[in-house]
Amino acid sequence: MATQIIDDSLFDKAFNLFSRIENQDFEYVYRGFFSHNISKKILSLADVNIQKTLGQSTFQKRIYYIMVEGLQNITMHQDEIEEGLDKYPGIFAIQKQGHYYYITTGNLVLNEKIPPLKEKIEQINKLDKEELKQLHKEILRSGVISEKGGAGLGLIEMARKSGNKLVASFELVNEQYSYFYLQTKIPTTKNVPIEEDNPENMRKALRSIKKLHITLNVENILLYFNGFFTQENLLNLLSIIKGRMNLSLTTIRLSNIMVEMIQNIIKHGEKDPNNKGVPGIFFLRQLDNGDFALISGNYVNKKQKHILEEKLKFINTSSIDEISEMYDRVLLDMDNFDAIHTGLGLYDLRIKSPEKLQYKFLKIDENRYFYILQTIIKNKD
Amino acid sequence: MEPLILQATEDTPEVILNPDENIFRIARISVPEDAYEFYRPIIEWLREYAKNPLPETTFEFDLEYVNTASNKQLMQVMIILDQIAQKHPVKIKWYYESIDEDMLNLGQRYQKLAKNLNFEFLEI
Repeated sequence: MATQIIDDSLFDKAFNLFSRIENQDFEYVYRGFFSHNISKKILSLADVNIQKTLGQSTFQKRIYYIMVEGLQNITMHQDEIEEGLDKYPGIFAIQKQGHYYYITTGNLVLNEKIPPLKEKIEQINKLDKEELKQLHKEILRSGVISEKGGAGLGLIEMARKSGNKLVASFELVNEQYSYFYLQTKIPTTKNVPIEEDNPENMRKALRSIKKLHITLNVENILLYFNGFFTQENLLNLLSIIKGRMNLSLTTIRLSNIMVEMIQNIIKHGEKDPNNKGVPGIFFLRQLDNGDFALISGNYVNKKQKHILEEKLKFINTSSIDEISEMYDRVLLDMDNFDAIHTGLGLYDLRIKSPEKLQYKFLKIDENRYFYILQTIIKNKD
Repeated sequence: MEPLILQATEDTPEVILNPDENIFRIARISVPEDAYEFYRPIIEWLREYAKNPLPETTFEFDLEYVNTASNKQLMQVMIILDQIAQKHPVKIKWYYESIDEDMLNLGQRYQKLAKNLNFEFLEI
């Protein structure tokens, strides 16, 4: 089976990404183009997740404002880029380590903007809380606003709200552009244990984001979500997909299949003990031939694995007509004739896809598996 | 009979079931987490309506996104309408975006499974 060989590496990649990300405490990662609308959705997606952890609090609000500034920063720099944006998409990531949240943005900037940016950030990092407040006031009063409306006010706000130094890093892309990574560290409580206040943690957090960004770029992953799945998150992801693509059969299919895959995770995946949702991963990848691969990963128990396996085996050994017949039977069935054949989601995926469903169960322990599912969608546009 | 009217939300459709004006309509997006829960009052309402329907009912489906859990509940709606149609004609107006062959296929599936209904497919 030739396809199996390709898939193995793909699946391993999905699993590696997931486990790496889990260890790094990534709460959420978006990679792609940042329009105003998409930024809004990313913001609410992230905020929902953070509120689940922190509740509505001063710290949650601070994180919210820092995310707003960070996202505005991305869109502002994006406007200056003439071409290459689709080749070098930006990244927005949230990590949580101990009592700190790390918000990181990564986006293209013109190389000539690097020295003034560096200078601005260094200047901000030299100031204490009171001095930052003064600087903020001065800029507002003097009305010295850069042509993009920036004047570093956003950066000053990020430093003020986080109470920590900003960390910036640049990676050369070509003679015109570099990636500009900006990381902010925000405490989630007034008294963070001193041992957590370690600059090495922050450097590590930034390194892992950069590495992830490279992987996502190499694999051409258009949309990437890792965190807790809830219906609310699904709706935000759905708007992000709609926001970044033109209306077409392909987009409609992608959206529908995403709904099925994520609702499957929500319904059947193993829930988080703190009730934040169902931990999992979902990504949308564009293949070299232009087709799309949708990949989901989540934990299931042994019993779920058995049911899923039986169902997937049935689907992959049946013709589309046979699957369609089964679909009708399930539609008409009032009392769910057995556990294996209920639920239309997987049938729907197969009917809409030109290829068999690809899946894998990776054993975590006796009763726990990581279930990865991939659906291919033809790009008809 | 009291009309049943539900405003659309981000994941549930607009629903108008109003016999006084012969408007029966389910529109927009239907991707709720718990489709059974959402459609239960609609199905109960229709079961009541089936006891004393209009001489002719016209039901519009104008959907953009539907999850499979909603597909199953919509089948229930079709089954009730199909029963009504054994005595009182029921016309289904099934709208779909011209590019969305999946939505057309879904309508055709219901047409095949609910034989008493008179389907009209309308491309938007």
